[in-house]
Amino acid sequence: MIEFCQVSASYDGELAILRDVSFMVSDGDFVAFVGTNGAGKSTTMRLINGLLKPTSGEVLIDGVPTSQLKTSELASKVGFLFQNPDRQICCKTVREELLFGFAAQGRAGAEAEAKVDAMIERFGFDGDAEPFLLNRGTRQLLALASIIVLEPPIVVLDEPTTGLDFRECAKVMEVVSDLNARGTTVVMVCHDMEVVGDYATRVIAMTAGQVVADGATFDVLRDADVLSRAHLLPPQIVELSMRLAQEGAVSPTSPVACANTLDGMERALAGEVGVRGKGDAK
Amino acid sequence: MIEISQLSFRYREGADPILKGIDLSIPDGAFVGVTGAAGSGKSTLTYAINGIIPHCYPGDFYGSVRVDGVDTCEASLTDISRLVGSVCQDIDSQMVSSVVEDEVLYGLENFGVPKTEIPARVDEALAAMGIAELRDRSIAELSGGQKQKVAVASVLALKPRVLVLDEPTAELDPASSVAVFDLLKRYSVEHGTTVIVVEQKIALLSEYVDTLVIVDEGEIRFCGTPHEVLEHSDKLLEIGVNCPRSTSLVNRLRARGLVCGPAVCTVEGAVCACEGLLSGKGACA
Repeated sequence: MIEFCQVSASYDGELAILRDVSFMVSDGDFVAFVGTNGAGKSTTMRLINGLLKPTSGEVLIDGVPTSQLKTSELASKVGFLFQNPDRQICCKTVREELLFGFAAQGRAGAEAEAKVDAMIERFGFDGDAEPFLLNRGTRQLLALASIIVLEPPIVVLDEPTTGLDFRECAKVMEVVSDLNARGTTVVMVCHDMEVVGDYATRVIAMTAGQVVADGATFDVLRDADVLSRAHLLPPQIVELSMRLAQEGAVSPTSPVACANTLDGMERALAGEVGVRGKGDAK
Repeated sequence: MIEISQLSFRYREGADPILKGIDLSIPDGAFVGVTGAAGSGKSTLTYAINGIIPHCYPGDFYGSVRVDGVDTCEASLTDISRLVGSVCQDIDSQMVSSVVEDEVLYGLENFGVPKTEIPARVDEALAAMGIAELRDRSIAELSGGQKQKVAVASVLALKPRVLVLDEPTAELDPASSVAVFDLLKRYSVEHGTTVIVVEQKIALLSEYVDTLVIVDEGEIRFCGTPHEVLEHSDKLLEIGVNCPRSTSLVNRLRARGLVCGPAVCTVEGAVCACEGLLSGKGACA
């Protein structure tokens, strides 16, 4: 469990990047942090894994303040995927990279080797490949794999799909989704609202270092006031459904007006046309 | 005018050519979007325009690339950079200064812009990107998105004839991404600047560009207006290019015979198509 209790934070001790932020993330949640650049999202992520300590308030992981935990203790609880995988990868081969975390946590051994072998097979990696010669998407997957191989109960992902093409993005997010389905708590920063809509079950919107909304994904992404305050653009299907209701093409409570996904909207439109067709026939 | 003729390129360490027989003509003032799966060759295509290949990355270069009649193989990188401004994919590799204002000043001073012009150019570029308040901030303290805006501002200050941007909105929030494309479009129209953007965000490209180029395995697979290219959503998916969801929705409705007309590129287009369907006017006979 992650708890932020009236947290403020600053890098230089003067400019407050985060101001009086409070929220709680329960075990097994899949939360997306959204908002403009500079809103404080990445800073929030750094506070979760202890890279940054609050200037006031408390960040608690499983009830223990991060200020009382060693970095190594936090690392075993919170896996952190950096925005840029090249800031994370530090070994000469894929296999060494995957083993790095075990060695750093003093867990090297036969069990670690077996877990790394399984991870190499699962992701289809070449264990002897040099990480920096892999393409960006594969480096991102490697960085992610090197975290989840350690099986932390919480993973924090800072823009995990940035710079990835459509197929790479889907592959990374399928891994994350599977992880969450197995009970891992997932906290991610993401600018791609389609990805947020597809995978996150809860959204926390931030602006100017403060939380402006915290709720179920589509409740937040359909709230016009929140969208405006946090300068968010909703996923295209959500925007379409809201526009059709606003312009009176459908009733605000119709399935079309409530559709959030491509499949859902296709079904709702076909259904609406069918109902209207039957009405005309009468 | 940019004329690319029969361009093929293989990196020295690469086994196969990354570009294969590319022909592309880009008129002055065009706003061109380039997209494709990772490793398709789209970034290398832009390297051919700004001279990074063959000047920085050696390899086998065949064919020709001319920018305003200047052959990018024969001209020096300095001369090309006066014509073509570039924003790199890896922003950190582009930054040379520790403070935002110095970063914008760097190019202006190196290009010998008269001192009397420099303050106005810096003000204009920072204001255009909406980052005037970051002027005195340390670059190391900026978010990835803020750095991206600084990089674009630094290039805009140089007022190049051609702007080449490799994923300039990768780390930007949606509103800032739209703001950057608004700015690029306006800048292109006002200054007659040719803008070439490599981008994964197909919804943004579809809404803004005049010409959409889809690169696949080193070849141009599709090239045309967004409407023309997005007709091929199934084939695009096969080569790892997704369509905007509004396009996918209307293409599905067209396939079911519920909607007629061309592919749509924007939510606005989908709203029109759906309103037509719901009112009974858009349904196919």
